[in-house]
Amino acid sequence: MNIKEYIESGIIEAYVLGLANQAERAEFEQLCTQYPELVAARREFEEGLEKHASEQAMQPPSGVKVKVLEAIVDATQGAPEPVSSNPPKIITMENEKKGSSGLLRFVAAASVILLVGLAWFTYQSYKQNKDLESRNAVLNEKLNSTQKTLDAIVDETSVLKNPNTTVVNMVGTKVAPKSSANVYWDSTNNNVFLVVKNMPQLPSDKQYQLWALIDGKPTDLGVFDSKSDKVILKMKDTRKAQAFAITIEKQGGSPTPNLDSMQSLGKTLQSQ
Amino acid sequence: MGIPNTYNTEQELVLALKRRDNQAFSILYDNYAGALYSIIKQIITDNAELAGDVLQEVFINIYRKIDTYDQTKGRLFTWMLNIARNASIDTLRSKSYQNSQKNQELPDNVYKGTANQSIQLNVDNIGLKKVLEKLKPEHRVLVELAYFKGFTHEEIADMMSIPLGTVKTRIRNALLQLREYLQ
Repeated sequence: MNIKEYIESGIIEAYVLGLANQAERAEFEQLCTQYPELVAARREFEEGLEKHASEQAMQPPSGVKVKVLEAIVDATQGAPEPVSSNPPKIITMENEKKGSSGLLRFVAAASVILLVGLAWFTYQSYKQNKDLESRNAVLNEKLNSTQKTLDAIVDETSVLKNPNTTVVNMVGTKVAPKSSANVYWDSTNNNVFLVVKNMPQLPSDKQYQLWALIDGKPTDLGVFDSKSDKVILKMKDTRKAQAFAITIEKQGGSPTPNLDSMQSLGKTLQSQ
Repeated sequence: MGIPNTYNTEQELVLALKRRDNQAFSILYDNYAGALYSIIKQIITDNAELAGDVLQEVFINIYRKIDTYDQTKGRLFTWMLNIARNASIDTLRSKSYQNSQKNQELPDNVYKGTANQSIQLNVDNIGLKKVLEKLKPEHRVLVELAYFKGFTHEEIADMMSIPLGTVKTRIRNALLQLREYLQ
């Protein structure tokens, strides 16, 4: 081959500018390995081209460089990590029989769900049962208490209905004009009951005391407070009484009444 | 073209690029983006924004393909120039570009007629096209079609109704003249 002729054929320019076809390129590259003068001529044209192109350079749009560098940084960061030489050991728990493993897993899962469900249900039932039991006990307690109260009231009110019972209306004295109470006195069995209608609240060291005046002499019939959970108070029995009187005495009562503090007085038929 | 300040030889720059040295890439851009943009603009003549997009694509491709660059086959700039030219021609031929051009009147008779006619191509007087101005018109149009439009010799022969051998010869002659001007 006449390399000089080849160099002058225009193949260098075609090759460098990308206008040579594949066969021409292959031949050119092959010849470059044999003829340094071909490489030198190619280099000369390339340098001329590059010089010319740089002389003709145009200012590229301003944002392009930033976008390019961003894309490159992304590409660098997005690069896949090298595969670790020590991959984590993963032990798979596989059943030997693949086919039954699925069913077995399903059954196992179903069993666990069922067991949990059953436990929950049992617990709920137990809790509910306990709850009902305790509520039942409370209700029973209330019922007993109410029954006792009712029985007591019925018992007490029977006294009021008793035709033998004498009602003594106790009226307030000058010291305590608002005090009022009723004494129910069953002459057949000497039982004395007291119904407090309005008795002023006393200091905690004081109590009211009921007296029966028998032939002008006061007899203790017991103490009571201004307020009581009982409607009817059972006092001490007395066979005779011309009048009943209430005084304020020290806690627990006095052997003789402090008549200055007499709150109310009621006369019986016996006094007439 | 000057070799970047921080690299004494093109070979050093290429090695840095192959190491994916982003700093080297930044220097590469600063040194060559203008020249490559000029080539892109000579191919995509009517859309500066699109030319900018192509420039971006070209540099990303340079980054991705730097490992395939073989210094024994040519200079770095030659390799990059061909990437830029191919990307530009691909864009020119893309469906979206063709569609964007649809409504524009294209002189259909540009490639028709004989080689002896003085065919007025829309040649901006920039870059290599400026060099083409110095060529004989019948040579110029062939280089224009081959280089800036990316047509093969066979396509040009068909288009111009001249024998393939004539196309090859004229292009070779034109390229030889080009070489004279570039020296």
